[in-house]
Amino acid sequence: MNRGALRGALGVALLLILWEGLARGLALPSYTLPSVSEILLSAWTTRQALLTAAWFTLAEALAGYAIGCVVGIGIALLLSLLPPVRRGVMPVMMAINSVPVAAWSPLLLLWLGVGMASKIAAVALAVGFTVFLSALAGLDRVDRRAADLMRSFGAGPLSILWRLRLPTALPLIAAGMRVSTVRSLIVAIVTEMLGAYGGLGWIIYQAVVQIDFVAVWSAILVASALSLAFFGLVGVIERRVIFWRSS
Amino acid sequence: MTTRARFLPPWLMTGARFILGLALAAMLWEAAVLLLGIRPHILPRLSTILSAIAATPGAYWSGFLRTLAETLIGFAAGGIVGVLNGVLFFRAPALRDLLFPIFVVSQTIPVIAFGALVVLWFGNTMLAKAVIAFYLTFFPVTVNTLLGLQSVDPRHTALLRSFGASGRQQLLRLQLPMALPQIFVALRLAASLSLVGAIVGEWFGDTTGLGVLLLQAMYNENVVGLWAAILCAAVLGTGFYGLVALAERRILFWGAEQ
Repeated sequence: MNRGALRGALGVALLLILWEGLARGLALPSYTLPSVSEILLSAWTTRQALLTAAWFTLAEALAGYAIGCVVGIGIALLLSLLPPVRRGVMPVMMAINSVPVAAWSPLLLLWLGVGMASKIAAVALAVGFTVFLSALAGLDRVDRRAADLMRSFGAGPLSILWRLRLPTALPLIAAGMRVSTVRSLIVAIVTEMLGAYGGLGWIIYQAVVQIDFVAVWSAILVASALSLAFFGLVGVIERRVIFWRSS
Repeated sequence: MTTRARFLPPWLMTGARFILGLALAAMLWEAAVLLLGIRPHILPRLSTILSAIAATPGAYWSGFLRTLAETLIGFAAGGIVGVLNGVLFFRAPALRDLLFPIFVVSQTIPVIAFGALVVLWFGNTMLAKAVIAFYLTFFPVTVNTLLGLQSVDPRHTALLRSFGASGRQQLLRLQLPMALPQIFVALRLAASLSLVGAIVGEWFGDTTGLGVLLLQAMYNENVVGLWAAILCAAVLGTGFYGLVALAERRILFWGAEQ
């Protein structure tokens, strides 16, 4: 382990000790700040319900994430191949994007109901736009001279896209996909809170209503662990796939 | 370029094109709903939505102002703390190693859960909503400030130091200005995020604000009201984003795009 990682671990450990000490030393009521041990204990005793909820949320987030990535990259590719369409479609895209995701969530809930579909749609929307914008930026980043060179050798637009534009754009697309991992889980949880049959957001909402803040914290713990794992996994895949990444 | 374009100031041209685009989009919306027979449950006509806003302008206006205030406070606090954090982390790498992982973990906490805690801590006040907006914005600004400061050519810093510039002078005259393009990229993102924070924060039983209007419309299955609130949020989001982008263009007059 290098020094940076060691210090990072030290920082987290210090925070946890400080937290535990504050909560115990000042005897803070659990609705203000429960101690770390209390949260861990609660998470362990309610692990069955938490795992079921985590699975529920993860399924929504993953489905929405997959749809969002495919649609986002697909539309970006399409628009980069068809500049006239792009000029017409872009303002509409920007208008949709100017509305915060949190504002779309209630509408999606009315349209698609309280089930999983509305959460998947909300995640797909949030992920789709992030990936779409980064993919478009990546596809635009191609050096004109390189494209001209390939064209002078008789390469068609599709060949240029596949051999030049896509490899150049991949690092940016991957960056967008990596940022989207955490966002997908957060959006799923946020939408769940507005109405759902299960999931971490639903657990958090119920715990807030019942003023059970230890339960809120243990749900947060699970959600953070899930986000970090998803983020790490996509990061590992990214390093494997995009071996030519410059920085 | 046409000859007329040269006599009109560019901002007027941009403004005219913007208004023209808006009018076109409004007509398209209206026509699409009428011609394609889209059910009002999915997408009501724009005129219906606008007349709904005109019927009770007070509710929308006060909601708009309330959410705007929360967004602005959260954004300002997040921006200032983010830049200070970035500078601090740049100056003290040990501190950066110590705290950065905690910051990263903090960003994986879903806003909604964090919101519940903040509302409990600060009460159901405007401050609580601003704190949520702050929580969403400070991290991207911190990261980009740090990145921007780190990308300054060390030879430039060495040159300044050789002229006897103090650490503070190096920071204010060279490093921060060089980092500004990166910082503004984060500020633009933060403009959108702070609005999300304000709206979500209002979901915890507030009485005014765009987030409240959204929730009320959802519970009443009032699609027109929902669209009206979405429209207000879009105007607020676009306007604020535009302001930050404008400030960016004014302040970065040397045109250091990336």
